[in-house]
Amino acid sequence: MRRDVQAIVLILVGGAVLRITIGDTFLNYVQEAMRPWLLLSGGILVVLGVLALIDVLRKGRAADAEATPHDEPHEHDDGHGHGHGGPRAAWLLLLPVLAIFLIAPPALGAFAAARDVANSAVWDDGLTLIDRTVQMTGFVTPDPAGGWWISRMAVACCAADAIASKIKVLDAPDLPADTWVTITGRWVPGGGTKTDTAIPLVEVLTLEEVPQPRNPYE
Amino acid sequence: VSAPVKESKGYRPGSLEILAVGLLLLIVGQRWLVGLFDDPALQTGATIFVSIVVQALPFLVLGVVLSGAIAAFVPASFWKKALPKNPALAVPVAGAAGAVLPGCECASVPVANGLMARGVAPAAALAFLLSAPAINPIVLASTFVAFPGEPMMVVARFIASLATAVIMGWLWLRFGKAKWLRIGPRDHLVGTSSWHTFRLTATHDFLHAGGFLVIGGLFAAALNVLVPQQWLAAVADQPILSVLVLALLAVILSICSEADAFVAASLTEFSLTAKLAFLVVGPMVDLKLISLQAGTFSSRFATRFAPATFVLAVLFSMLVGWWLLT
Repeated sequence: MRRDVQAIVLILVGGAVLRITIGDTFLNYVQEAMRPWLLLSGGILVVLGVLALIDVLRKGRAADAEATPHDEPHEHDDGHGHGHGGPRAAWLLLLPVLAIFLIAPPALGAFAAARDVANSAVWDDGLTLIDRTVQMTGFVTPDPAGGWWISRMAVACCAADAIASKIKVLDAPDLPADTWVTITGRWVPGGGTKTDTAIPLVEVLTLEEVPQPRNPYE
Repeated sequence: VSAPVKESKGYRPGSLEILAVGLLLLIVGQRWLVGLFDDPALQTGATIFVSIVVQALPFLVLGVVLSGAIAAFVPASFWKKALPKNPALAVPVAGAAGAVLPGCECASVPVANGLMARGVAPAAALAFLLSAPAINPIVLASTFVAFPGEPMMVVARFIASLATAVIMGWLWLRFGKAKWLRIGPRDHLVGTSSWHTFRLTATHDFLHAGGFLVIGGLFAAALNVLVPQQWLAAVADQPILSVLVLALLAVILSICSEADAFVAASLTEFSLTAKLAFLVVGPMVDLKLISLQAGTFSSRFATRFAPATFVLAVLFSMLVGWWLLT
């Protein structure tokens, strides 16, 4: 990889990080607390890239003036598969850049929630909830056994460690997967409490479709 | 200059041209590309891939900034004074020094590489490489928070991780071969000033490690989506098998060491010892880390170092788990 391309890769990676962090897109992937670190590291990468680009341009002008390609003997293989200090693997850094700019992967949704068997405990004990109404916001996750769960993913650090919380809703109209809704409902005995794989039941009183919250995770 | 490199200097489209044409094609074909990612499994995989990379990047940048600073501003004589001359003593000192550097495993690979390039005994640098992401204050604090009511988990994690790191360092002293490590002369990274050297080293290390971080992230995301979670539930009550399964899961998931405690805590069907194995193995051996080590030090190194570390980490988790957590 030539030095000018290395510089461009650095700028692209840093730019992609800044691009998702200046809006709210980064919340689809990591925690809010990462924002200053993402801004700092994105900024460092862009600065390193710009300085490397200036190096290349300066050297290019110097070489033109001398009219002798002095640069060539400098290109040597240092024994780990790359001359010039630019490894071939660095091309792969373009993959996350492309994913961010072209595909913009969405927040984890129904697919991830449905395959998560370790449902994080929603309530320790249903007893305190008898005759209370609860309100919650989440997305629709179709239950293979019929109906749907309202789900929310909890993220400790990044989306790779997401754990789903699911609640089975009763008496609700069918909605497409990944629709965000706010419901109020009444806790119904017979679902699970305490154990982590059990899924509690809620009878729906009101249901409203809402836009995806700014931070899709808990 | 070796022959194959010379041959490739005949006509070839420069990498700048490849980059420009490639980007142009991708922008033109964006609609088609997005259509490909309509599948929810692929989309979930893409989200997890981007998450792992985005989460790890700041730590990797921190790591290359540190390794650049070590190369440019810290004289080699400093390490001679700071570490005991006898490498067998330097190993535990370096391992314990890991307790002060906050940062996850991605940062420690370039730092360890920088230390070796500055003349620190490889065994000591490797002990540091293993212990730093496992026992630093942030990781221990997050473990404490993730396991309320189980403070012994923090102690067990500290002891098992430090023991693994130090024993691996000593094993390297006894059996390691210098030719497995490709530290290489870094003359081409010496600039016209300290600041220039810093920039060259940080840029080089980032481009190098970053590519391998991407490979690791791709594998981790694919396996994350493909391995059915029901398999886990099926083995949770087998005492030894469950430890091995969570250790392997830590390798596959490649979660940052600052977050892994929360994931371990969520695997409620498993024993504390199995969770401990998850926490001890994860920061030392995982897919993105193996990929980073192979890229930084050579694949000959990674194929020996990672399995040996895995075995030791599992053994120490079992020992410490049975001692402290039952």
